[in-house]
Amino acid sequence: MKNGSIISIKNVTKRFPVGEGEFTALKNINLEFQSGEFAGLVGPSGSGKTTLLNIIGSLDSPTEGEALVLGKSISKLSHKESALLRNKHIGFIFQVYNLLPVYTVYENVEFALLLQNIPKVQRQKMVMEALDWVGLASMADKKPDKLSGGEGQRVAIARAIVKKPVIVIADEPSANLDAENTYAILKTMRELNKNLGTTFLFSTHDEKVMGHLDRIIHLRDGAVEEDEIINVKTLTK
Amino acid sequence: MKLAFQLAYKNLVGAGLRTWLNVGVLAFSFIIIIFYNGLIDGWNEQAKHDSIAWEYGNGQLLHADYDPFDPFTILDGHGVLENELSKNLAPILLRQASIYPEGRMFSVALKGIDVNQTTLKLPTASLKNSNAKIPAMMGINMADAANLKKGDEVLLRWRDQGGTFDAAKITVVDIFETNVPTVDMGQVWIPIRKMWEMTGLENHTTFYVANENFQPSNISGWKYQSQETLLSDLNEIIAMKKISGSIMYLLLLAIALLAIFDTQVLSVFRRQKEIGTYISLGMTRAQVVGLFTVEGSMYSIFAMILGSIVGIPLFAYLAKIGIGMPAASRDMGVPLAERIFPVFGIQLIVGTILLVVIASTIVSFLPARKIAKMNPVLALKGKLQ
Repeated sequence: MKNGSIISIKNVTKRFPVGEGEFTALKNINLEFQSGEFAGLVGPSGSGKTTLLNIIGSLDSPTEGEALVLGKSISKLSHKESALLRNKHIGFIFQVYNLLPVYTVYENVEFALLLQNIPKVQRQKMVMEALDWVGLASMADKKPDKLSGGEGQRVAIARAIVKKPVIVIADEPSANLDAENTYAILKTMRELNKNLGTTFLFSTHDEKVMGHLDRIIHLRDGAVEEDEIINVKTLTK
Repeated sequence: MKLAFQLAYKNLVGAGLRTWLNVGVLAFSFIIIIFYNGLIDGWNEQAKHDSIAWEYGNGQLLHADYDPFDPFTILDGHGVLENELSKNLAPILLRQASIYPEGRMFSVALKGIDVNQTTLKLPTASLKNSNAKIPAMMGINMADAANLKKGDEVLLRWRDQGGTFDAAKITVVDIFETNVPTVDMGQVWIPIRKMWEMTGLENHTTFYVANENFQPSNISGWKYQSQETLLSDLNEIIAMKKISGSIMYLLLLAIALLAIFDTQVLSVFRRQKEIGTYISLGMTRAQVVGLFTVEGSMYSIFAMILGSIVGIPLFAYLAKIGIGMPAASRDMGVPLAERIFPVFGIQLIVGTILLVVIASTIVSFLPARKIAKMNPVLALKGKLQ
């Protein structure tokens, strides 16, 4: 793991059983991500973007090679350890928001803090702060089914960043959003990236998202086709 | 664990109608189980109480040759007990006899009883206070069957000690109401002194009924049967009734638990994305399994609350006014009051609550175990089959 690197992907290959054979989703991937990056994995469907993000997020593990996240080898983590890693250091933003339908906006955002046993008063402060960041403090009592797509995704962003994680993984965050909402959430994430120093890793094939990234890693058929660094400042931050 | 309860509560309340349907079915089971057991316990208490009050007293001292289950022993199963030993005992002499109301013959057990006794609830004072030549009393069912009423005279035929038939008219001086059929149906009660005269069996007794001051001891020619022994048949009948009743309520409980099981299986399948989200947010698989299990067992807690809201006033009302039993059910041969007052004891309520909570936790845990083997990536995509 290089100095300043928080994610190190070394010769990672991921295969899935398909019928009696296997499908290789990632082929010998080597990547490094440093703290504070605003990077995206770009490529067509089936190129391995989500698989790689799942491995980085410790939701999956490589078949071969090693993925080190915050110095921890994903393959070697127990269920409990990987849950702890996700709970403390990794935030997720999903394409379909994955908000818990029976909870209010406030409760959805509060969830990760409940798992960390943070005292109520501190929790309240953190949740409202996160909702302020995404501009939804006034909607704290609403249920997810009363929100628009853009609002739902902003709640998901607030939920991901409320615990101030080191890494936020956003899997196709704009796939269900129009241009205006896409711009709004990217702007929010960009500000959080700058203000909190959180590393954002996206998977996307949305050109509107790509325009905001500092680094674009092009994946094709499970392999890195091109690692394009656009904004060097962020990388050296 | 506290978190699991907090989240489970929110999930269940948030699930709306689905939750309340399950809770309703389970609460109904709670109420039925407690009601039925309370009814049986009430019957049990009443039957024991009445049997002791009307027939068994504090136990019975039987002549060694007399077997209550063998009518052939009535003829010779009697004897004389010394006065010293018969303290705290109410004597009863039993003979077979017939009455002829409206010319029809009725075989009866003719029972002579001490008119001064106070051990049994039988209204023997009526016999004592009557001026009739042979005063007699009987239970209301016997009177109905023989079409006799208070003041009627009826011909009685019996055998004396030598086996010779004799007959005389008896006067019905009292008809008593009792829940104990074994002192009612087929029985005619007369003063024991009169019976001694009629049969020539002076001072003879078939069995004695003991009061609470009687101290049992070995008496030659006599056998003592404790209250507990005498009640054993009744206890067996009630135990059988409980078993047959428990089949009914276990079926009911099984339906309620099946509803929870079904909901849990569906939940695990339908809420895959939610499960994946929980895991991605940092819950361990064990925590998610725990959450789903607590959700299932919380149905029973909600059902307990709902059951209490409906059940407590209902049970309090029933325990106060009792439940009327149909007249036909009194032909069962066991003491059965016109109204049974159910007994809802703490043991019954706590036992039922524990049974339902444990059972619902188990049926919730079984489907939730699947979560432990779930691939969170597939769960997030909702692609698990």
